[in-house]
Amino acid sequence: MMERDDVLHKKEIWAIGGGKGGIGKSLITGNIGICLARLKKRVLLVDADLGGANLHTTLGIGVPEVTLSDFLNRRVENIQDVIIKTAIPNLSLISGAQDFLDAANPNFAQKTRLLRHLETLEADYILLDLGAGTSFNILDFFLFSDHGVLVVLPEPTAIENAYRFIKSAFYRRFKRVVTHQGIKDMIDAAMDQKNSMGIKTPYDLIERVKQMEREVGEMLEWEVLKFNPKLVVNQVRTKNDIQIGFAMKSACQKYFGINLEYLGYVEYDDCVWQSIRSKRPLAVEYPYSRPSRCIERIVQNLLRKEQLSLSVLY
Amino acid sequence: MLETAIMIKKIENLNFYELLEITPSATMQDIHKAYERIRRIYDPNSIALYSLFSPEETAEINKRIEEAYRTLIYEENRKKYDAMLRMNNIIPEEPPVPQKSRYQPKPFLAVPSASRFSAPAAQVQPTVPAPPEPPVIPLVEEPVAEYTGPVIKNMREQRRLTIRNIADTTKISSRFLDYIEAESFTKLPARPYLRGFLILYAQALGCDPERMTGDYLKRYDAGLPKKQ
Repeated sequence: MMERDDVLHKKEIWAIGGGKGGIGKSLITGNIGICLARLKKRVLLVDADLGGANLHTTLGIGVPEVTLSDFLNRRVENIQDVIIKTAIPNLSLISGAQDFLDAANPNFAQKTRLLRHLETLEADYILLDLGAGTSFNILDFFLFSDHGVLVVLPEPTAIENAYRFIKSAFYRRFKRVVTHQGIKDMIDAAMDQKNSMGIKTPYDLIERVKQMEREVGEMLEWEVLKFNPKLVVNQVRTKNDIQIGFAMKSACQKYFGINLEYLGYVEYDDCVWQSIRSKRPLAVEYPYSRPSRCIERIVQNLLRKEQLSLSVLY
Repeated sequence: MLETAIMIKKIENLNFYELLEITPSATMQDIHKAYERIRRIYDPNSIALYSLFSPEETAEINKRIEEAYRTLIYEENRKKYDAMLRMNNIIPEEPPVPQKSRYQPKPFLAVPSASRFSAPAAQVQPTVPAPPEPPVIPLVEEPVAEYTGPVIKNMREQRRLTIRNIADTTKISSRFLDYIEAESFTKLPARPYLRGFLILYAQALGCDPERMTGDYLKRYDAGLPKKQ
């Protein structure tokens, strides 16, 4: 793994989301961060879950003194001042907002300021832990990052939300690249599953746009090809659960035309729950447990820009 | 800007290879494997599809998958289909490279095409030693309900593989392969070895090793039929 260092000079920003709450986004973000830090990468974790921050807890840090809201509200001018060092070398954290309602909904200017500052930071990897839901803030962080990771559980509810997340992110991205108001309206209408125009899949939408303006349609098509979110299946109990990742990959390819990359899965184990209870990170408390191993494997795939191959099933 | 050949395609417009997620040079085994896989993914109860496709759409996709499999699994239909794709410039001009696997069916050009579909019925019936399963397994009756010796034999014959071919790829003695197919349980080696054999055999046939070994060993354990 280490010999790949030279390929990875550039700083990378990863966003970890997934639509549904309680599926292990923070846990996975925190532990991926620890694994990367152990490989001597400089890692910064950012709790972008502005409404319900708890990344610090998965890392075993108490309620932090400085948080992102201090930066967003300009109580602190430089983002450097809200970075907390953790007990793990190379790993630092910007904790999520702890106070009042406003911070959960930063306005556009606040958001761009945050993203601009993040880009200036010295780090090899910046991991954004996104909140649940598909609000614009979350989608924007997801789209802004270099790579987006979706976490799902092998359950219909989580999968439903993941697809909705993909779809929303997708259409938001579309909306950003087009300028034509008519097409923007059409994209808005397409978001409504029961729209009157009969646009059901992104493919239908692109066809429609192409009829209106060919070039824009092709541009959207290009966007589809560039959009390849990564997938992590959490709480895997059986081989069939692992298979779900491949199934989602196939379904996404056929439905959205997007290439979902199956980064890996995390096995279900009580030790995860125990580590959360004891408020100590999984990778520190149970480094040799199966879930920890799974996360290490995800990190390896992440570093090598690889994904799971079907052979894991055989 | 977008001169690339990659275009986003609607499911209805995917060709059979794209639908099964294989390349036009896929071997028979690949096709079997891919079919089993895709069929499981697009099973109406598959939760990975949840909220994405409506039941009607799922049914439609399954119909297409079935059609794709039935076309590609017959060498002749596949050739016709490939020719059609080539004519429309969907796949490159030169015919897909014939795969080099050693258990490649012997040139079966001698088999007159008309007899191919009726052949198995005629052929299989006498050779199957009165199995509890329906003696005639119609061609491409997959997924099979239960993997028994005769069913395995039948599957092998459908793929036009001889015991010799299988023995070459799996390095299992052809004697044991015969015993497996005949379900001569007493002559087979101890259970763990048999299990290993079955896994290799299943892989050579391109079917699900877990199911095949599971089914077969269940019969083995039950000491099911015939002392030969």
